[in-house]
Amino acid sequence: MSAVDTAAPGSSPSESHASLAIEDLHVAFGGNRVLQGVDLQFTPGFNGLIGPNGAGKTTVFNVISGYVRRNEGSVRLNGEDIAPLSRTGRVKAGIGRTFQAPRLILDATVMENTLLGRHHLFRWGHLAELLLLPQQRREETEARQVCMDMLDRFGLADVAHEEAGALSLGSQKLVEVARALVADPTVMLLDEPAAGLGADDVTVLLRGLRQIQAERDLCMIIIEHDLQLVTSLCPKISVLHFGEIISEGSPEHVTTDPVVIEAYLGHGFEAEEGGEIHEVESPLSEHHHIDHVEEEGELTEVWTEDGDSEQEEPS
Amino acid sequence: MADRVATPLYAPSSRFRRAVPSWATFLAVFVFLALLPWLPILGWTDIFDSGNDFGKGNLAFVFAFAIAAVGFNLLVGYSGTLGLAVAGLFALGAYGTAVLSAPSEAREALAGYDWPFFVALPVVCIAAAIIGVLVGFPAARLKGFFLAIATLALGELIVTIIRLDEKVWDGLKTNGGTGKQVPQFRVPGLGRVDSYYMLSLGALFLMMVAYVVLTNRRLGRTLKAVRDIDIATGPIGISSTYYKLVAFGISAFAAALAGAMWAQNSSFANPSAFRTRLLVFLLVVLIVGGLSHKWGPLIGAIFFVFLRQKLQDTQKLLFLILGITLILAVLILPNGIAALPERMRESRWVKDLQRRLQSLAGSVGSSI
Repeated sequence: MSAVDTAAPGSSPSESHASLAIEDLHVAFGGNRVLQGVDLQFTPGFNGLIGPNGAGKTTVFNVISGYVRRNEGSVRLNGEDIAPLSRTGRVKAGIGRTFQAPRLILDATVMENTLLGRHHLFRWGHLAELLLLPQQRREETEARQVCMDMLDRFGLADVAHEEAGALSLGSQKLVEVARALVADPTVMLLDEPAAGLGADDVTVLLRGLRQIQAERDLCMIIIEHDLQLVTSLCPKISVLHFGEIISEGSPEHVTTDPVVIEAYLGHGFEAEEGGEIHEVESPLSEHHHIDHVEEEGELTEVWTEDGDSEQEEPS
Repeated sequence: MADRVATPLYAPSSRFRRAVPSWATFLAVFVFLALLPWLPILGWTDIFDSGNDFGKGNLAFVFAFAIAAVGFNLLVGYSGTLGLAVAGLFALGAYGTAVLSAPSEAREALAGYDWPFFVALPVVCIAAAIIGVLVGFPAARLKGFFLAIATLALGELIVTIIRLDEKVWDGLKTNGGTGKQVPQFRVPGLGRVDSYYMLSLGALFLMMVAYVVLTNRRLGRTLKAVRDIDIATGPIGISSTYYKLVAFGISAFAAALAGAMWAQNSSFANPSAFRTRLLVFLLVVLIVGGLSHKWGPLIGAIFFVFLRQKLQDTQKLLFLILGITLILAVLILPNGIAALPERMRESRWVKDLQRRLQSLAGSVGSSI
């Protein structure tokens, strides 16, 4: 399922070893201290950021993408502080992002929506566009090719010329992920990419993300409520609770950490010494009832509420 | 993955569009309008009868209003920015070209700076665009209602400066509140009316070409993103402030160009013509014609000039009817007259009517 693909024609696999370091980050909205000294290190690969509602996860993303001003601390991309950069400047520096609720132009086509992500890489301006210069046209066609390849990875090539508003919420979220990826980011912030997606869409999303990650060695940071998805995808998970990092490490470590269980999962959660989790009934899995998680095996079985079963094979 | 799907990169056009490309329709409309003075086939309308000067003058007004509405359309319909300085910038275009191209040795109502018309026109339009961008800087941070108020004030400010004339600067030469005579540019080989008819049509043609080219491509997408995604455009790499300024600039350019054409046509400019009333006129042209539709401005302008000429003797009735039309348009035809064919096709009522007519035809056929 997640067979690593060799570079597809048209795409530009740029080997990057981007790292994002957050040090002692403090953010307060008035008297409400949302982040209190957060230290995070994100390296290429999948990084999970989890925590209960209101823990400050989206605020971390908002600081990185420039929506929220920090009170203290620093955010460094490859060692450089990104504070002086504007929101668009951060995109040029290589930070991409998706939102919890998809933000698309509903009366434009899927292709046009995806192309928006590519705009900052266009070399020819609007005057060239007005004068119908052939170079500009060529650039547009190249951009469309890149976008079509990306849409294809997420199973959206067939609907490329449909209006985005006609798509299901799940597909709209996939369009947004594709739009963020065609901007050639080195650090990708995914804010609950799987929330509201059907099982099929989740499979497509994970397959696409794994392919891209394997090709470009991106630093992907994922906020996700679906713990099963995060543990199967991310080798490293950070847990945020009331603005502080309370645990960090491998999925096994995090899901068995008593602090995490106490703070995040609530009571009625049983964990055994060996790290196996049985019969989880917790707010963790909003969409899937986790029946069984096999820690050491490659195979993870997810039972959806309808009783449909699908198999995930983490790469 | 290796075999790429055969989805075309550009949206495939409909069968009708493949047979008649939209550029062909576009050119046909303008060729038709250019030939109108020699094709008096609109004689039945009397208002748009291109056989006489009255009809040609009205058509030239249609073109002028349509030019302003095209720019306004880009600002309101595409970028979703409700900037209302358009009436003031229209006045800037009218007075700017009039004053710059007027002879310097003349009485006050006609005194100017001796510039050739085709130098004055672009200078004034570009100056208007720069003013639009400068105003846009603070305005782009405002939203909806506040933006509307701030830009409305700018429009009024320009008109007030024109009215004050030498109290502001004695080189302004706008002749205060009494009005200014506009020196008319004569296209070689054409009569007075034909000359400004062709001038307005040419300006509309260039404006429409620019509008269609830009909105069908990257700029159109980007402006729609500014309208619909607004604050979230940052992480996509699109600065919404920058593109709001671009929209302000282009719409200001168009408003000034329209003003200049209007002045050529009416040969006399008075500050009171550019008050908020003109803004209401342009809103009617834009909304009744159809927001973010290519032909919306032209259709709206035809509708408006027709109504204004019909109700010329009863000005108060004109405003009443314009007001009612605006309300009805927003309620019944939110996308304007230009979207009417599309709406008709999708309407249940029309489909029902078609079905009834067919069954009626069937029963009539069987009874015979």
